[in-house]
Amino acid sequence: MRAFVAGFGLELRIVRAAPDALIPLVTAPVFALIFLSIVRESGRPDLQADALMAPVLMTLWWIALQNAGNMITGDRWQALLEPLLATPASLASVLLGRIVALTCLGLVSFLEVWAIGELVYGVSIPFEHPVALGLTLLVTALATAGVSVAFAAVFVLTRNAYTFTNSLSYPLYLLGGVLVPVAILPGWIQPVSSVIFMSWSADLLRASLKPSPIDDLWQRLGMVVLLGAISFLIGRALLFHVMQRMRAKGELAAA
Amino acid sequence: MGTPAVEIEELSRVFEPRKKPPVVALDDVSLAIPPGEIHGLLGPNGAGKTTLVKILSTVLLPTSGRARVLGHDVVDETKAVRPLLGIVFGGERGLYWRLTGRQNLAYWGALYKLSARETKARTQQLIERVGLAERADERVETYSRGMKQRLHLARGLVGDATVLFLDEPTTGMDPLAAREFRTLIAELRDEGRTILLATHDMVEAETVCDRVTLIDRGKVVATESPRTLGQVISRFQRIDVEGVDAAVLGEIRALTGVSGVTEADGGARIEVDEEGATRVVLGRLVDAGATSVKTSLPSLEEVYVQLIDDRGLEL
Ligand SMILES: Nc1ncnc2c1ncn2[C@@H]1O[C@H](COP(=O)(O)OP(=O)(O)O)[C@@H](O)[C@H]1O
Ligand SMILES: [Mg+2]
Repeated sequence: MRAFVAGFGLELRIVRAAPDALIPLVTAPVFALIFLSIVRESGRPDLQADALMAPVLMTLWWIALQNAGNMITGDRWQALLEPLLATPASLASVLLGRIVALTCLGLVSFLEVWAIGELVYGVSIPFEHPVALGLTLLVTALATAGVSVAFAAVFVLTRNAYTFTNSLSYPLYLLGGVLVPVAILPGWIQPVSSVIFMSWSADLLRASLKPSPIDDLWQRLGMVVLLGAISFLIGRALLFHVMQRMRAKGELAAA
Repeated sequence: MGTPAVEIEELSRVFEPRKKPPVVALDDVSLAIPPGEIHGLLGPNGAGKTTLVKILSTVLLPTSGRARVLGHDVVDETKAVRPLLGIVFGGERGLYWRLTGRQNLAYWGALYKLSARETKARTQQLIERVGLAERADERVETYSRGMKQRLHLARGLVGDATVLFLDEPTTGMDPLAAREFRTLIAELRDEGRTILLATHDMVEAETVCDRVTLIDRGKVVATESPRTLGQVISRFQRIDVEGVDAAVLGEIRALTGVSGVTEADGGARIEVDEEGATRVVLGRLVDAGATSVKTSLPSLEEVYVQLIDDRGLEL
């Protein structure tokens, strides 16, 4: 827990000193406008709120993945990885803390899309179930960070974080039901989607903006947390394995 | 003697870089450091010092052999070893440049599981101890090299470790800061800590260490007292001189304790191999009206050769 807090505090200070990690926040309003225009053009004003939620999820994912990929290699290049591993702290927990700090800041995108909807099209977000909405955003930020720890380990292995980030994100937006609900995708995709935390998050976000009551709210929130936690644990094991390999090969320090 | 603070048994490490021949960085190194000792690890670049420090710090695996810190194996018992260690790697990297010195320390303090309050107090205390109080709230990127080194040192101390590994900690420090650093090392020993100090600086090893292990190409050459080392260093001085004629040089060549005179354009280098010979040679050169006289220490390699000769060993 101290390691998590250490990572969380570190990343907040880094962002305050240089906010490059949050660049995806710049694109969130742009995506919001694009999606809003599309649903309005196609005569589906009922989908306007959904169109605003997609950029929020995309921003969280983008911030988390892009930075998770760079954290270990960045630390390695700056000769920070070896001293970090030599401390009693768990690398996975430090990373999780760092990424959670970023995904929490990424929630600012919610305020951005809200503002841009109001300002440009006068579309407001229907806060039908504000508590469910808030909780969903929070657990999504946590789960996104958990999944990113797993990707961080893979990035170190593949050494090409950038291509990886790019090629992974769009299928995930699809499978995660970010833009269109999974329910309207071909049937065979649905089982795949159900193990992707983002599909649960996306459905919950949309449901919390509709007047009808939300079925099984707690179970569904629990699913997001569970899938995020499982990914984190897989990531932790993977990281341990990767670090062990680098310890053996003498690759923890960059030449 | 109880459990040694550091115990190294037949440790070897071979690197196998891609598309290059393997490198034997450590070759059958054995060494024991009792608690409370400042132990020097002296060797030229590429001798294997950093490799040894990394293995002891749990961030590199040995190819064979074992090492223990306060009785705990550095390969199998990393959980037990890591809280005991403070590590200072040399160089300018290893810090978050965009953060302030204080923020850097706060992060590392938290990694050593200090509470927020403890971290704050410890950080302030260390900042003062290493002399960074005035600049602690400025970004590290504005620090001089020497200041970064001092911050490194503070980072190594933030976990209040009983065993400290310092790898070339004074590189980039000005002489004054280096002297303060040596005082600090002595204080740390007085607090009961064990220190392994890797360096290529003979004088540093001689002045701060209780014992010095000399390594070269991955092998231990000898473990000596700093006194022995100091004697060799002062015995085998060199004198570079300009503005004396060949006759004077011939005369000096014949003095006892002069092992060689090599003439080079306009000047000469005189090597001595006896305590006291330097003084005699210098006197003679001044009398002869030399225009420039400069003494220098022998190279590390020469000291090695000499120590090995003294013991009748072969390389
Ligand atoms: N990660 C590595 N991969 C390959 N060779 C290495 C690696 N680290 C060190 N070496 C080699 O091992 C030898 C010892 O290096 P090092 O321990 O850094 O020496 P020192 O610290 O005494 O200068 C050198 O020949 C160096 O090139
Ligand atoms: Mg070195």
